[in-house]
Amino acid sequence: MTHDTLPRLLARNAEQYSQDIALREKDRGIWNEMTWTDYANTAIACAAAFDVLGVGKEDAVIILGDNRVRLYIAMVATSMLRAYAMPAYPGATLAELQHFVGEAHVVAAVAEDQEQVDKLLDLRQAGNGSPAMIVYDDARGMNDYTASGLRSWDDFIALGQKALADDPALRDRLINAANPKDPAVFMHSSGTTGKPKGIVLSHANMIAGANNAHAGGAFDTGEEVVAYLPMAWVGDYALSVGAAIAHRFTISVPERQETVQRDMREIAPTFYLAAPRTWDNMLTLIQVGIENSTPLKKWIYHFFMDRSVEAEKRKLKGVPPGPLDRLGRMIGEWLVFGPIKDQFGLTRLKNAFTGGEAIGEDTFVFYRGLGIALRQFYGQTETNAFTAVQTADEVQLHTVGRPLPGVEARIADDGEILLRADNVFAGYYNNPDATAEALEDGWLRSGDAGYLEDDGHLVVLGRLSEVVYTKDGERYVPNYVENRLKFSPYIKDAAVIGAGRDQLTAMVCIDFESVGHWAEVKGVPYTSYADLSQRDEVADLLKQAYERVNNVLPEALRLHRFVSLPKEFDPDDGEITRTRKLRRKVVEERYSPVIEALYDGASEVHIKAEVTYETGETGFVERTLPIREV
Amino acid sequence: MFYRLSGVRHSSYVSDRRMFQVPADRNAVIILLMIGLAAPFLIPSLYLNSYVLPWLIWTAAVLGLNLVTGWAGQLHLGYAAVMAVGAYSAVHAARFGIPWEFALLIGGLSSSVIGSLFAFTALRVKGLYLALTTLAMQFVMDWVLTHSPTITGGSHASLQSPPFALLGQEITSDAGLYYVALGWCILVTIFMLNLKRTGLGRAWVAVREKDFAAAILGVNSFYYKLVAFAASSFIAGVTGAILVATFYFLAAPEQFAVNVSIQVLAMVIIGGLGSIIGSYMGAALILLMPGVVNQVFSAFAGLIGLELSIETLAHIPNAAYGALIVIFLMVEPLGLGKLYANIRDYLMIWPFDQLKK
Repeated sequence: MTHDTLPRLLARNAEQYSQDIALREKDRGIWNEMTWTDYANTAIACAAAFDVLGVGKEDAVIILGDNRVRLYIAMVATSMLRAYAMPAYPGATLAELQHFVGEAHVVAAVAEDQEQVDKLLDLRQAGNGSPAMIVYDDARGMNDYTASGLRSWDDFIALGQKALADDPALRDRLINAANPKDPAVFMHSSGTTGKPKGIVLSHANMIAGANNAHAGGAFDTGEEVVAYLPMAWVGDYALSVGAAIAHRFTISVPERQETVQRDMREIAPTFYLAAPRTWDNMLTLIQVGIENSTPLKKWIYHFFMDRSVEAEKRKLKGVPPGPLDRLGRMIGEWLVFGPIKDQFGLTRLKNAFTGGEAIGEDTFVFYRGLGIALRQFYGQTETNAFTAVQTADEVQLHTVGRPLPGVEARIADDGEILLRADNVFAGYYNNPDATAEALEDGWLRSGDAGYLEDDGHLVVLGRLSEVVYTKDGERYVPNYVENRLKFSPYIKDAAVIGAGRDQLTAMVCIDFESVGHWAEVKGVPYTSYADLSQRDEVADLLKQAYERVNNVLPEALRLHRFVSLPKEFDPDDGEITRTRKLRRKVVEERYSPVIEALYDGASEVHIKAEVTYETGETGFVERTLPIREV
Repeated sequence: MFYRLSGVRHSSYVSDRRMFQVPADRNAVIILLMIGLAAPFLIPSLYLNSYVLPWLIWTAAVLGLNLVTGWAGQLHLGYAAVMAVGAYSAVHAARFGIPWEFALLIGGLSSSVIGSLFAFTALRVKGLYLALTTLAMQFVMDWVLTHSPTITGGSHASLQSPPFALLGQEITSDAGLYYVALGWCILVTIFMLNLKRTGLGRAWVAVREKDFAAAILGVNSFYYKLVAFAASSFIAGVTGAILVATFYFLAAPEQFAVNVSIQVLAMVIIGGLGSIIGSYMGAALILLMPGVVNQVFSAFAGLIGLELSIETLAHIPNAAYGALIVIFLMVEPLGLGKLYANIRDYLMIWPFDQLKK
């Protein structure tokens, strides 16, 4: 039997590594474990149940909820039936789900809990009655639901087990039904520039992606991984299902999103992939923690950390560390770095990655200084997340490493990165125009601007559409400046403006938690986010962050004026994507009066910003914002 | 700094209730245990048998008193009396020809019976009144011991303990006696360590915090107080017997007089109520500190060439030792055990000052 699809690989694991732990999920403080045998049996029972209920080729199943073991199993089961598993963000709005229903033949949904079931029932009512079948994982609060086609996971699996018992040949048929070209998962592009497009990744894509990444040194066999990334993000599927099955990872699902940090500590993963934002958040936690510590501990921390970071910066420039650096690292590791890493469960980390967007240099160097071999990777949904990674001994700040073995990269005449590999998808779902635009003779247009260095390292400058020029023709990527700003623990989001202008300005959202804490310590009174963000004391705090950034930026790219926004960027308002990437167009449109005021020399601006509440209702935040000079 | 918690997880509630949740704690215990086992080869036998051995035995006694005072919250001022019961019954049993294993058991059980009989009446009152009643028990026992020649041989006599033997093997060597004390101390420690993991231990804690609140929760507070006295008395009895068999070699009434009761209680309070490591530290401080302070003072006096009279030399260390106890209790009223816990907490979250969530 060839192992060319995920179900077949899963069956192989169940056979050869039957007692190894495949999945863990925390429930009331206890990690419930599943071996590969349990995993395969449950997935097959789930597929059998779908089969009995008539789910088949070309049908789609929505997977809605936070990371849950059962939702992962349902995705694998769906792919056994050659159907599309469509994971959605747990915070997806009705409109977003309606988009899913509109583009494919959705027959069923697997939901995490009552909240998601409610959403699906709304979806049913709002549309043509699909999804007709809803399976829910957590039965809490579901007793009084009488809607048709609603099943608990246990009933659902029992149904499948009965079908398997009745038909002994069904098991093998389910394992072998899918072919390598059949869909493994139905993802959506992140949609920074418009409506998300459907992206179908086949089993062949998945396995090629996992094998290429493995060959490229991204991970080893049998990694310990915490599945905390949103299930609708390709990175999570590619790791927690694709690579996990192909290379036998142990996947641990945290109890809840809020407990990720503590659960991470209990698992102590060996592989950790996070968006720069997550690394930034962790950095903020560390910085705030140290800031609140005693002077002695603060001094010890800075003594070792500052030296280590300096040594790391020199190392990245090619200067090997001297004996003093190594001694400092050794003592620092024992005294400071080790305990900090322990608090966050990073002690066993061998393969740490940042990807998804550019990481701030300071953040990157900080973690390397801490002794975490943080590396950059580059990938997109269309290539199943794996395109290029840095190997452990080739870490550089400005590159993302070499293209993985099996991935070809070249640069188009306009500077766009083109990619060709087995893990590149076959085309956007039911969207020939977009497909034609993206795929040309098997080469994928990545949409990113970049270049290849002489030694084969790929440099990504940013989205092609985002590379902009100031009035004087100075080329820059706003994201680059924004990431530098976000290194400050007090700044959560930033939008840098300056395309076609004579100077750069910025709008920032303060980090409510750390600024709020700072305000409490300093005795600065405030009532709300909107109030706190506009206070003069906070403005001074932000000014320091700007000055620090200005010091490292070239003269032409310095920031001159800024506004602190009275609300955070929110995916519900469309200002950022659910993976928290800035939707620049939306932001620039929505805050156009602010932007105008930033350039016409006004000292304040009146704005009225629309906010969408969690219930879906909208309201307005109206305020006069002072404009500050750096 | 030394405490690393990442990777500690539980896949069942049984594992979640393991005795040592923190690997560093378990390692520390293992290292201490190894030092304890190797002590006869590391420490000269004079020090071993005149300092370490009594320290271990008194620690077992302190743990027993801590059970009733620290865990169940009942003040007990007659602890030495209960120890006396065990010591005399065991020695008499051994003299009668009963093997020491059973003699120790008889000592423990008789203490337990007398202790709980007494508690049965004493527990009709609470708090300071209970303290006074237990003190009365001490005096009654003192009187009985000095006035019953059949038990003690008379007021100024002492009762020779037969040579100690276990499993038919006579134990006379210094190392052998040390291991007996160590074994008993470890046994009691393991029992105490497990208390907090049992319903019994939790019931005692509930009674300690507020006995009628515990009663509302369905904990029969009188019953649990009685069990606390019985269990503590058993430990006291066996400890008393081992003290006589391995350290004093003869039993005399003044070994179990009221000042001994007060001293054990002092060990408990300085060590910390309800703290196991504190019991070790408290016993060490009260038992070993006078000697250490004495030596330090005479060495210091010799160093600066100060001619101190014998009288002053005898009193200054006593004063210093008293001051030390006062200082310790002022720094941390909850005892040395709490002091240790503070340091442990400090290192646990190092280099942060507090943890979020």
